[in-house]
Amino acid sequence: MCFKNLPVEFDQQGNATLLKNIPNPYEYETVSLEGEQDKLKELLARNGFIKNVDFDPVTRVAGALAFHTVADLENRKILSTNSMATLFRGYEIILRGRDPRDAAYISSRACGVCGGVHATVSALAMEMALGIKPPPLGVLLRNLLLSIEYLYDHPLHLFLLAGPDYSEQIVTMTNPGLFEKARNTSAKHEDMHGYSTIAAIMKDLNPLSGKLYTEALHMTRVAREAYVLIGGKYPHPQSVVPGGVAATINISVMNEMYERIQQFFDYSKKVVGIWDDVFDFFLESNPDYEKCGFRPATMMDTGVWDRPDVYDGTYENMTDWGKARWATPGVLVDGELVTTDLQRLNAGYEEFVEHSFYENWNGQRFSEDPAGIPLGPNHPWNKETIPKPGKQSWRDRYSWDVSCTWDRMPMEAGAYARLYLTAKAQELPESKFIRSTGHSLQIDIPKSTLPGGTFEWHIPETWNTFERNRARAYAIPYSAMVCMENWMMAMELLRQGETKVSTPFEIPKKGTQVGVGYWGAGRGFLSHHLIIDDGVIGNYQISTPSTLNAAPRTPWGAPGPYEEAVLNTPILEDFKSPDDFKGIDILRSIRSFDPCMPCTTHIMMDGTDKMVTREVTTCACGIE
Amino acid sequence: MRRVLIGAVGYLNLRDYSIGPVLLSQLRKTRWPSGVLLDELNWGPIAIVQQFQSLPDPYDRIIILTARPCGRPAGTVTLRNWVGGLPDEANIQSRISEAVTGVISADNLLIIGEHFNIWPEEVFVVDVEPGKEEMGETFTPEVEAVTGDVLSVIRELAVNNSSVLPEFEGMTGNELLI
Repeated sequence: MCFKNLPVEFDQQGNATLLKNIPNPYEYETVSLEGEQDKLKELLARNGFIKNVDFDPVTRVAGALAFHTVADLENRKILSTNSMATLFRGYEIILRGRDPRDAAYISSRACGVCGGVHATVSALAMEMALGIKPPPLGVLLRNLLLSIEYLYDHPLHLFLLAGPDYSEQIVTMTNPGLFEKARNTSAKHEDMHGYSTIAAIMKDLNPLSGKLYTEALHMTRVAREAYVLIGGKYPHPQSVVPGGVAATINISVMNEMYERIQQFFDYSKKVVGIWDDVFDFFLESNPDYEKCGFRPATMMDTGVWDRPDVYDGTYENMTDWGKARWATPGVLVDGELVTTDLQRLNAGYEEFVEHSFYENWNGQRFSEDPAGIPLGPNHPWNKETIPKPGKQSWRDRYSWDVSCTWDRMPMEAGAYARLYLTAKAQELPESKFIRSTGHSLQIDIPKSTLPGGTFEWHIPETWNTFERNRARAYAIPYSAMVCMENWMMAMELLRQGETKVSTPFEIPKKGTQVGVGYWGAGRGFLSHHLIIDDGVIGNYQISTPSTLNAAPRTPWGAPGPYEEAVLNTPILEDFKSPDDFKGIDILRSIRSFDPCMPCTTHIMMDGTDKMVTREVTTCACGIE
Repeated sequence: MRRVLIGAVGYLNLRDYSIGPVLLSQLRKTRWPSGVLLDELNWGPIAIVQQFQSLPDPYDRIIILTARPCGRPAGTVTLRNWVGGLPDEANIQSRISEAVTGVISADNLLIIGEHFNIWPEEVFVVDVEPGKEEMGETFTPEVEAVTGDVLSVIRELAVNNSSVLPEFEGMTGNELLI
C-alpha cells in the first residue's frame, strides 16, 4: 500500500486507479482554527506567565521568516506555533508566458544560496517535457556542480547560521551551567579536530572571531572556486542548460577542480568530529534536549546525482533513474520507508492554500500523470498561483507559504533526508565510496593530512534538532565522496575522448508538453513542475524545501514541520524573568531545518508599486 | 601605478535602485587611464573580501556607486568618504548572514569589508537617493536628470589625485543600521 489517505490504489503490477464508489475522491474537510485560538486567548488573559513570543524576523536564516509562539514560561512549554513566510515569491507568475529557455536563468534567482540547483531542476523539467537526453559527461558534470554546491551550502549553515547557537557566546548567555560543564568535558574526537574540550570547540564556534566560523568562510570560497570552473559563476550559473552543460571541459579544468575537492576530505573529518562531540555533549548533559525540535521522521526527498548510464530524463523511466541515483529518492513516514519511486512521490504531492495568502483555483487540467497515476486538483501540474494579500490571522490566513503534503501528510525536507532515505532503502547502486546498510550510511574518506577511514552515520532513534544538524555534518563527506566518484568517472570519459557535454534541442511551437524536475537543494527537496503550451510556459510551479518545512497548517489543522517541531520543544534555557528569555531552544529548532525563504528578489506588493528586496519585519503585535 | 576600482552595487531591473549596474555599463564605454578598473560588486561581500585579500597589488582607491534610500529628495547625489567604524558585533553578523544568503547591499559590503580590513585609505561612496522602489529598466525623471552629474563625479574621483579633491563628509559603519 503506497497511499493511506489519497484515493488511489495500485494493483500487483503497479498500475494505479482511483478508488471506486467515492463521489468526490479528492474532497477534504477544512477544520476551523477558531476554537484553538479562542482557548489560547482565554489562557493568555488568565495567566500572566503565558506569553506571546514572536521571532520576527528569525535571524540567521536566509530570507524572510517570522515565527509566532504562545509559550507557558512557568511550565516551560510551547502551547501554540505559527510559521510565517513573510514575502510573496512570485516566480510562478514571472515565468508564465515566457520562452521555456529562460526558466533556468530566471528561476535560479529564486535563491541567493542555491541558485544552481534551481537552474538544474529547471533544466531537468525541460528535458522531460521535450525528450532531451544529456550525454554522459553532461550528467557527470551536473553531478559535480551540485555536489560542490552542497560543499558550499552545508558548512555555511553549520558554522555561519546554526553554529553560533552552540557557541560560547550564546551558551554562556542562555545556559551558563552547561558551558561550565563543557569546560571540564573532554572532546571524544580530538584526533579529528584538535580540540581537547567541548568548551574549546564552543569558543571557536563564536561568530566573527571563532576559528571554525572563519574557516567555514574560507571553505565556502574553496567550493565556489571549484563550482565556477564549470558553472561560470556562483550562485547563478551561466552554463546549466537543458541537455547538459554549456562549458568547455578538459583535463586542466578537472585537475583544478580536484585541487579544490580534495580539501574537503580532511575538512569533512573535522566537521563530523566537531558536531558529533558538540551534539553528544548536549544530549548527554540533559536528556530533555532529545525533545527539542522533535517530530516523527516523516520526510521526503527527491534523490540526487544521476547515473549517466541510466538517466534519460523521461517520466516513463523516472522510477528507474530515480532509484539509480547516488542518493535514493522517496518518502519516510515516522521513520518507515513508504516508497522510493519518484512517480509515486510525484503523484502523492499536493499543495493547499487555506491558511495562505492565495485564492483557491478552479479546475483540474490533468486527471492523471503521463504514467496513468491519478492526480488530484491540488497537484502542482493542476495548481494556479493566485496571490490574495490580506489581513494576517492565526484563525485564518497567515503565510505566503502554502501547505505541502504527500498523501495528505506534512513532510519535512532537508539534506538529512538524503542520508536517511539512502541509508534506510538500501537501493544505492554500487559505489566506490558509499554504502547503505539499512540502518546507516558508510562513507569512505581517503587519507589526506588526516588518516583515511570509514565514517558511519547512523539513523537516530529520535528525530530532533541535534540529529538534523548531525546528519547535515555527515552530508559534507557524503557530498565530497560522490563528487570524487563523479570526478573519476568524468576523467575516464575524457580519457576515452567522450567530450560531448550537451544535447541540442528545439522547442515545438505547437502543442502541450509536461515535465517535472526533481533534485535536492542544499536544504533538500526541490521540484519545478512545468507545462509548455504552444512554445511558451503555460504553468510553472516551484516547491522548495522551505515551502515544505515552513508550511502553515494543513486544511485539516495539522501543523507544518517548523510548527510541529517547535510545539514539541521544551524550554531548557535558564532565565530569571520573561524579559531575559531569549528563546534559544526554539531558535535552535527552527534553524536545524536550515530555513531558506527565497526572498532576496524583487517582489511587488499587490495594489502598490512597493518593491521589497530584503528581509522585512512583519509586526505580529495584535494579530489574532 | 595607482590602482583605482570603480565598483557598482545594486539589483538590476529595479529602476533607480539599479543606478550602480546601469551606469557601470555606460562607464565601461569611456576610455580610462591605465590603472582604473571597473567591476560589478554585486557578487557577494564575502566573495569580494576573499578576492581582495588575494590580490597581489591592493587597490589604492575604491569608488562605490550605488542607490541608498535615506529620505532625501529623489535624485540627490551625495559623495562621502568612508572613514570606517563598525556597528556592534550582532549587526556585523547579521550583515554576514545576509551576505552569504544572497542579499545585495552596499551597506553590507562596506561593513563586511571594514570588518575584514580590506579597504584602502581612500574609499568614496557616490550614492543617489532613489525614487520609489519599483520594477523597471528606466530611471525616474529625477534620477535620470542627475546621471550626467554622477558620471562626471565618478570620473573626477577616478582620475584626480587626492590633493585636488575637496574634503568630503565622512561616512561610518555606525550609521548604517539595518
